Amino acid sequence: MRNFIATLVIAMTALPALAANSVKATVNGMVCAFCAQGIEKTISRMDATKAVFVDLKGRFVLVEAKDGAALDQKAITAAIVDAGYDVLKVEISTMTVDQIKAASKSAIK
Amino acid sequence: MRRVIGPFSAAFACCISVGAIAAPMGFKGSWMAMGDFSPNWREGFVNYALTAKEAVGPSVVYMRSDDKTKTRELAEVAYTRLIKRWNLPHAQGNVWFIGGVGTLSGNDFSGTRTMVTPGVQVDYETTRFYISAFGRLYRAEGINHDYAAARLGFSFFEAHYDEVQPWAVLEVRRMRGLSDTTEVTPMLRLIHNRYFVEAGVNNFKQIRFNFMYTF
Repeated sequence: MRNFIATLVIAMTALPALAANSVKATVNGMVCAFCAQGIEKTISRMDATKAVFVDLKGRFVLVEAKDGAALDQKAITAAIVDAGYDVLKVEISTMTVDQIKAASKSAIK
Repeated sequence: MRRVIGPFSAAFACCISVGAIAAPMGFKGSWMAMGDFSPNWREGFVNYALTAKEAVGPSVVYMRSDDKTKTRELAEVAYTRLIKRWNLPHAQGNVWFIGGVGTLSGNDFSGTRTMVTPGVQVDYETTRFYISAFGRLYRAEGINHDYAAARLGFSFFEAHYDEVQPWAVLEVRRMRGLSDTTEVTPMLRLIHNRYFVEAGVNNFKQIRFNFMYTF
């Protein structure tokens, strides 16, 4: 029992380190994949970016950071605005792009 | 004369509406290439987005009458400006200004004439529905090719950002002063996050192909 509790404590302590360091932006006006490509292209070029996911139906953009890197929320917001859209909210997320992509695809199908 | 002008106007009316395909410019700092092709006309249009709302670039159009006796060439510098955009939760509406200044030449008149082409496009789209209206003046000395077009389209299903989304689009357009015939073209449109293509056959039984690509 003592070993189980110790393992549990260690696992819980490690969780934040395993969680993704992502930024999720809620965006208005994203209705066309061709027109929204500027978001992906611009943010993908940022040094701290590991992956970008654009969800037209869910109207958000998720940016996952590289390990140990910090995302620039202002730069991400500016990239979305320069692509022609309105950013309603920017928040920290622990989801990875792979996780949110899987959730998004299962939501439509 | 009318027998020549009729088919010629049909060709001309079909070659000048690349701007009406969709958003006529890319994101800030990007180049966008657009094309509209068929047997009697070839148009190429490239612009650079100076800001999120402004783009400028060259446009070249070659036109030929159906009986192959008349040709027109228009080379212009076009300016595109997003006048107003409504970014809604699940839709977007736009008002665009598209205008150019260039030279027009043809085999039925000597030399070149300066042509000005101011126009306005209004569009509204969701992930499943699209509607637009486009009007543009094409004026040169002794020439008036004012033009209007409307488009209505729907997508067959919701698609993810990285998937190809097929659309059915119907376009109706007409050019003043050259023809009494309205061109109607049903088209299949494929939208992907890297390309935009359309193909169809108009009521003159001519194949059309349009594309857009952003660099």
